[in-house]
Amino acid sequence: MMHASGTLNDFGMDTISMAGSLDMKLKAIKGAGFSQVMLSARDVVGHPGGVEAAAQVVRESGLRVTGFQVLRDFEGLSGHLHDYKIDIAKAMLEMCHALGSKVLLVCSSTSVHASQDPEHLAKDLRKLAMLAVPLGIKVAYEGLSWGRTINEYNTAWEIVQLADTPNLGVGLDSFHMFAAKTSMEDLELIDPEKIFLVQLADFMWQEIRSIEERITTARHFRVFPGEGVHSQDLADLVRRLYQMGYRGDYSFEVFNDDYQQLPLPMVADRAWKSAQWLGEDVMRRSVPLPNQIRLKRAQGFN
Amino acid sequence: MNNTTSNVGLNDESNREAIPASANPLGLEGIEFIEYATSKPQALGQVLEMMGFRPIARHRSREVMLYRQGGMNIIVNAHDSGLAHSVAPTEKPVIAAIALRVRDAQQAYKRALSLGAWAVPTHVEVMELNIPAIHGVGTSRIYFVDRVHDFSIYDVDFVPIPTVDSKPQALAGFHFFGIVQYIGNDRMDDWIEFYSELFGFRALESSEHFGILPKGRILKSACNTFGLQLIEPEPGVLAVDEDERLQRIAFGTSDVLGAMKLLQARGVEFVSHAGQSPSDKGALTRSWLGGLNFELVLDGLAS
Repeated sequence: MMHASGTLNDFGMDTISMAGSLDMKLKAIKGAGFSQVMLSARDVVGHPGGVEAAAQVVRESGLRVTGFQVLRDFEGLSGHLHDYKIDIAKAMLEMCHALGSKVLLVCSSTSVHASQDPEHLAKDLRKLAMLAVPLGIKVAYEGLSWGRTINEYNTAWEIVQLADTPNLGVGLDSFHMFAAKTSMEDLELIDPEKIFLVQLADFMWQEIRSIEERITTARHFRVFPGEGVHSQDLADLVRRLYQMGYRGDYSFEVFNDDYQQLPLPMVADRAWKSAQWLGEDVMRRSVPLPNQIRLKRAQGFN
Repeated sequence: MNNTTSNVGLNDESNREAIPASANPLGLEGIEFIEYATSKPQALGQVLEMMGFRPIARHRSREVMLYRQGGMNIIVNAHDSGLAHSVAPTEKPVIAAIALRVRDAQQAYKRALSLGAWAVPTHVEVMELNIPAIHGVGTSRIYFVDRVHDFSIYDVDFVPIPTVDSKPQALAGFHFFGIVQYIGNDRMDDWIEFYSELFGFRALESSEHFGILPKGRILKSACNTFGLQLIEPEPGVLAVDEDERLQRIAFGTSDVLGAMKLLQARGVEFVSHAGQSPSDKGALTRSWLGGLNFELVLDGLAS
């Protein structure tokens, strides 16, 4: 029992899957059984009492904050565009900190104004990570499948390696991984300690033929893991990450127009069924020994 | 002056060796002052005087005092700016700022910002001096000060206390040896990166320690004149103290036991229990005012 509940606690829900106020969302998420929540800047700035009141509501919910999203089109800019994005990034970091979130999600840039030079991208992400240090925040860099230069998780990992700074890692999103059809074999190249967040979502069709269809699907037609046609792939992904040694959080990044017009507890219950499927069926089968001790990261230095 | 020659040959194409950009990118030359914030400035002043400091000057318009011994300056700031983003001083003195002597303060400041430091807006700075500052750990700041050899930065805002020797000798050869910083769990790498990237600090081997409290990790300044000791929470403690802050100052001396005797005669008491007993390597004072203490360390770091 202990083991199963421990695994279920690894899964959290995203506020972006539901309509309504932050208070209503947190209540529904908690009510369904979740212990963590991925927050979005929109929930917070839209709170009638402002950011401070939103942070208070989050603290009172008792839910742990998985992470905070999302900084877009950040890396690769120059001059006034770079300065502008640094301002945005600082505001996002301050909100992230106020909410007690230790992870900021950054999506790879789609901007045609951004440089495509890997060194430039890495330098900017390094600067962002440095801004995050005093606030105790880790930066998770995600390869958006319609990113201009970086659009797969394996190239996102290359940029993270190039930037080479402790609090910068990758964020994985199953939707983008499946949509871009990147080989899962490349996961082996990633240090599991440098995966700062994993977002999971399923979708209803086998093939996505164009970038436009990919964007539309990503923003409107995602479903919870197990509800679509990629359940087997999701199960494989979660097992693979476990075997690699990933012991961090999973969040359901499900953008779905239908869920936006359903009662919140109904959406949260669907998400919880998904967590049960992953936590009890998929993960339990992947764990040969009960009560495995999670090894604390060794403090090794050269 | 080795920092002025270290750039030579950097962009030389015939250079086949990976020579770092500069071992001392800011031209760092030690600590100009350390600032405490407290709502009990006189109580802190008494402690500082016991530790060998003398009050030298007071601020023209604010409740700020300058204390000195030897080459060490300590500023005691009781001024509550009342601004939204500033922190009101508490009874327990906290280390609010470290001022670093650099070759060019504006350049150092701009370089830090370009690498990802947070600027402290000048209008919330506690002192009137226009000293560029960035945010450090917790609520603390790091100032950049230059031209310290040309004139005293204190002349502008401070009025000397009459009849007081403005250059009191240091007790037992005391000098700034280092500052202890408490950090959160799994934050060692982050902070090492912060100090090495922005200021050119270098992490010593994990086994290398000074004094009698061999915990955490020591970072050595690029100018080799002082260090930072980063300490994580005790493992196994259930209620983990995740608070990150500058915790105490360590004074270097070549004779710890001799220095202890001088301080004991002035009323300073030292911690003496298992693992923290004074020795010729170092000693820890008992704490005053709810958590203020100082460490003495046999100096093997400064050259």
